Amino acid sequence: MINFKNFIKDKIYIDSYLFISITLLSIMGLVFLYSASQGNIETIIKQSFFVIFGLFLMFIVSQPDPDFYKNNSAIFLIFSLVLVLITLFFGKEVNGARRWLDLGFFTLQTSEIIKVALPVFLAAYLYDKPLPINLFNTFTTLVLILLIVNLVRIQPDLGTSLIILIAGLYILFLAGLSWRFIGISFGIFILSLPFIWNNFLEPFQRQRILTLLDPNADPFGSGWNITQSKIAIGSGGLQGKGYQMGSQAHLDFLPETETDFIFSVIAEEFGFIGVCILLSIFLFILLRCLYLAFNARDRFCRLTIGGLSLLFLSTVFINLSMVVGIIPVVGMPLPFISKGGSSLLSFYIAFGIIISMATHKKLMQK
Amino acid sequence: MIDLNERFSEKRNFFNRLVFVYVFFGVLFLYLIYKTFSLQISSYSDYELASLENKTREFLVQPRRGIIYDRNGEIIVNNKPSYNMILDPENVDDINELIFEINKFVNLSDAEIKNINNIFPNKKKLNREVVLKRNLTTEEIAKFEVRNYRFPDIQIAERYSRENLYPYLFSHSIGYVGNLDEEKLQEILSSQELESNETIFTYSNGFLNGKTGIEYVYDEKLRGLFGKKIYEVDASGRLLQEKQMIPAVAGEDIFTSLDLPSQKVAYDELNNRRGAVVAVDINDGSIVTYVSSPSFSVNKIANGLTQNEFDELINDDDKPFFDRAAQGRYSPASTIKPAIGLFGIDKDILDWEYTIQDPGYFILPEDGRIYRGWKKGGHGEINLKDAIIESSNTFFFSLAYQTEIEELRAHLSNFGFGKNVCDDCFMPDNGLLPSPRWKMNTHNFGWFKGDTVNVGVGQGYINATPIQLAYYSAFLATKGNINKFSFVQDNKNVDKNIFNSKNIKNIDWDNIHESMIGVIESPKGTAGRLRSLKDYVIAAKSGTVELVSTETKEDYQIIRETEGKRDHAIIIAFAPMPNPKYAISVVIENGESGGSVAGPVAVAVLNSLVKND
Repeated sequence: MINFKNFIKDKIYIDSYLFISITLLSIMGLVFLYSASQGNIETIIKQSFFVIFGLFLMFIVSQPDPDFYKNNSAIFLIFSLVLVLITLFFGKEVNGARRWLDLGFFTLQTSEIIKVALPVFLAAYLYDKPLPINLFNTFTTLVLILLIVNLVRIQPDLGTSLIILIAGLYILFLAGLSWRFIGISFGIFILSLPFIWNNFLEPFQRQRILTLLDPNADPFGSGWNITQSKIAIGSGGLQGKGYQMGSQAHLDFLPETETDFIFSVIAEEFGFIGVCILLSIFLFILLRCLYLAFNARDRFCRLTIGGLSLLFLSTVFINLSMVVGIIPVVGMPLPFISKGGSSLLSFYIAFGIIISMATHKKLMQK
Repeated sequence: MIDLNERFSEKRNFFNRLVFVYVFFGVLFLYLIYKTFSLQISSYSDYELASLENKTREFLVQPRRGIIYDRNGEIIVNNKPSYNMILDPENVDDINELIFEINKFVNLSDAEIKNINNIFPNKKKLNREVVLKRNLTTEEIAKFEVRNYRFPDIQIAERYSRENLYPYLFSHSIGYVGNLDEEKLQEILSSQELESNETIFTYSNGFLNGKTGIEYVYDEKLRGLFGKKIYEVDASGRLLQEKQMIPAVAGEDIFTSLDLPSQKVAYDELNNRRGAVVAVDINDGSIVTYVSSPSFSVNKIANGLTQNEFDELINDDDKPFFDRAAQGRYSPASTIKPAIGLFGIDKDILDWEYTIQDPGYFILPEDGRIYRGWKKGGHGEINLKDAIIESSNTFFFSLAYQTEIEELRAHLSNFGFGKNVCDDCFMPDNGLLPSPRWKMNTHNFGWFKGDTVNVGVGQGYINATPIQLAYYSAFLATKGNINKFSFVQDNKNVDKNIFNSKNIKNIDWDNIHESMIGVIESPKGTAGRLRSLKDYVIAAKSGTVELVSTETKEDYQIIRETEGKRDHAIIIAFAPMPNPKYAISVVIENGESGGSVAGPVAVAVLNSLVKND
């Protein structure tokens, strides 16, 4: 028995903190989703399949040595870019957007893969470059990032393209992007805001921003989602209305309960206490990632863990800020909770890579 | 490969930046938690309420309107049930198939089918009742009842319409109901702290509101209190389940003092002539007979007139909508004489022995103007009693001449002139008890002595409504001890008017009664032809209202060619003597003779009242 245990310890790479907390989050997600989908068994079975498959995938992804990802990151990126290009031409069109590739048993949102592949590639690319990152490398990587982001933006998918942009920028930032560069870029960004407002934003996107500023201006139109979401959250109170008792969710007042607004359902049914419990699990995962980044074995691992964990953090934050009405409504799922296979799988892969990096020590460190 | 120091600084740099972002987001997350806290804890009650309002929909349940009875317990106004076929659309997918099945035994017109098809999709979406057919016949109901097991989603629902069982008899006294305007509806609902919502109507024509008469004055009592049905709804407004039911409180029934038999008699006697009859029970001032003629059908008004019918009523020269009893202004004419006589006694101007010489006219000393009586050559030497019986104008001209108008006004005001004498009449007119100030304001002329003299015979500016004349009659009958009039039994709100004068003794009242009895019973009485119409004693005073002043009978003959210029006939009476129970006033426009035209109507109504006691 003891030998067998040691054997497993030596041959199997797993970070039990992350694995347990992510499994816990996934199971909670299924429970929440059951209520949010108003007891739709089909949804739950499908999602359960993704969760089980995702956990398995995470386990598999965490087995190879990080060097495997470092050496093959370009292949992964190219592979996922090809998928995005295929999607652009042959993707399934839903509501005027081509984001999905129909694989028969499952429709894949290809841009979700780039979300992981890009930071890994950038970290690998910067692995043997002098750091802090120099101007030349900054520009080459920026051009690459913007090209890829634009590829997703024209699908169109503003939410995902933004998150890809953020993921890429995190790596640059962590790689030591000079503060002066950041300051100048930020200044240019602020100055070009009116230009972006007028030329890059669709009317409905502008409306969403305006709605955020004054949701009561049109409570039954553009303000409906956010108004109902706030009512759902607020009426949950301290203890919530009880599982499956949320009237806002169950009587269809709340939109998109299974995806973007699932947090509102949780807040309505489990109250502030439930919200705090959920947030502490997220917090635990993030702090664990911070710890792992500190103890990462090399620069590639550091940058990757840092970048992917910040990607995770940003996604969670954007979703939550959106449903409580701090930022405009953008399509952004709550990781491991919201319905949707692609986003779920991309995060399992991301954490699989993080676990791989956390568990494989360099020979000299062993 | 890489310098160790450089590696160390790069690592530290990386950690600093990573922690920087974590801290940055940490702050944002604190704000996020604060925001959630403020939603869920600080503003919890607001959002809890908002959530509750979101998911509930209140339906108002209309109360049943009170029934109106006459004083003998006969129903006058009732709620007539009608039966509608109602569909609960929840489980119905193919409305056309259902219509086809129903059409096999209950005929649905094309218009009805079209209407059902129009409203069905929306009603089904919101889960609201669909009315398939209104006003089912008993045969249709029976046909449905034997098949109802096949139609679990259909039921027969009772709806009401307001029905006056005597649509022409009580048009002005009880009045009619109609639909509410939005403003009035808001007012009614807010009085019950309700909001305007979807309503479950008890009445087939929706919200009801008294528009005139008792229906209006007692609307609040008759209306009752709205109930509520509270449903849970989803975001689309679809009804899910009934959560709570607060039943409506039916309106109170009103037991009026109106007397159906006498009302019928009055209506028949008036026979569509323009005029009015008001009779009261003098013991409590309750109105027993109240007819304004010509009349109209209140049921037609309440349930919708065609434009033609409406135009016809509005343009009718006889003005059937006009409530002559409460709003018609008529000179009291000679009927005022008993009150003027009492004034003379009150002011010690005369006593029952006092006589004057009546040459048939009175000359106003100030300007030599001649005021004529009705009898050429006059009544000779005449006292107060005979002046009432024979209706001498000269006597009262000269009596009025000896008074000041303000004193006379104060006196007549006691008798009900110039003021509202009814507690619950609909828009009563106050008539006119003229004053010098009024004349100055209205006609821009000063008060002449001649104006006072005219008041002495109830002509000139003074006028009164039939209600006021009935009040005056009741006042005489009770010797100045009468309640304000009311349409309901045992009205607790009414004031009692008790007239006190140290100079007017009981014997004076008796003498007045005797004089008024003489109007009918004395050979010289002006209403002698009424004697044979009854078998008990009536006290009365007739009057003939001159619309156009004429010098001679010949002149009047020319005038009367135009019906509208003929004199109004007027009479006040009370009976049975010597212990009167009822007082009455009758006005017949252009009826010419108070005694012989208005008189028989008054006697017939009194007969009905006295005999039925």
